[in-house]
Amino acid sequence: MIDAASLLLSVAGLIFFLAGTVGILRFPDTHSRLHALTKADNLGLGLIALAVALQAESWAAIAKIVLIWALVLLAAGTSAQLVARVALQQGGAPGSGRDDAGPDAVGSTPSGQRDPAG
Amino acid sequence: MTDRPGKHRALLRSALKRALILAPILPALGADTREALLLGGPAVVAATWLSLHLLPPQRPLRLIRFLALLPGFLWRSLLGGVDVAWRAFHPRMPLNPGWASVPSDLPDGGKVALGAEFSLMPGTLVAGTRDGRLLVHMLDADQHLEGAVRLEEARIARMLGQPDTAHESLPTSGAGPS
Repeated sequence: MIDAASLLLSVAGLIFFLAGTVGILRFPDTHSRLHALTKADNLGLGLIALAVALQAESWAAIAKIVLIWALVLLAAGTSAQLVARVALQQGGAPGSGRDDAGPDAVGSTPSGQRDPAG
Repeated sequence: MTDRPGKHRALLRSALKRALILAPILPALGADTREALLLGGPAVVAATWLSLHLLPPQRPLRLIRFLALLPGFLWRSLLGGVDVAWRAFHPRMPLNPGWASVPSDLPDGGKVALGAEFSLMPGTLVAGTRDGRLLVHMLDADQHLEGAVRLEEARIARMLGQPDTAHESLPTSGAGPS
């Protein structure tokens, strides 16, 4: 029963990892790809961590899995922002196709600054 | 630094809270014997000291409110993963990427926390700030963003122990993917 749940969760996790990869390949620009990478992979890891935790033999092992997942979550949320900021400053990575015009294209208050985020 | 006792007490409280967050990592790493704690104890002290130096306490972090945020955050990050996976697998790939810039009154650390949260929520990604406004990339430019930002901002502000002035203007429509 628990093995079946683990199997199901791992397969679901792998599907989300696959979705993240498909998103990187299919999505048109750097920032959209970053969405796929961050969110889908994060969920995939969460599901696989859950699957592994079901098989764990001690609470310490479960705590370790939770710790790993929490650190990856923190890193994903932080690095996604950093990569997004750099990609914005450089106008999209080379070979990423047309990145849209950036936040300046939005009808918000114009700031007059060319260089976002300093 | 200063001889005001109130400030010292606040610093001590921050140090204790951070040690309380860091200490459970020890047993998680398998350090549950007496010998391991002889090494691990000083490690917690050193990590707390480093944390206070890298990020000096500005506002008291409300641990209970932080914990109260977790379930909702996990749920929305699950929705975020499902949403983007659906878009990636869909044959017509329903994307309508666009940008929005949203004002935020949170302190810098709070903005980073908000940005991290938004980067895992459905359809949003924060690419830094400009003039105090969050630059948000959206997978669907028609997504209603302002409401979701206000909602999360108020939650984080409460976690940081700020007076929650934004509370009255909370919109009810919010964090949904569309």
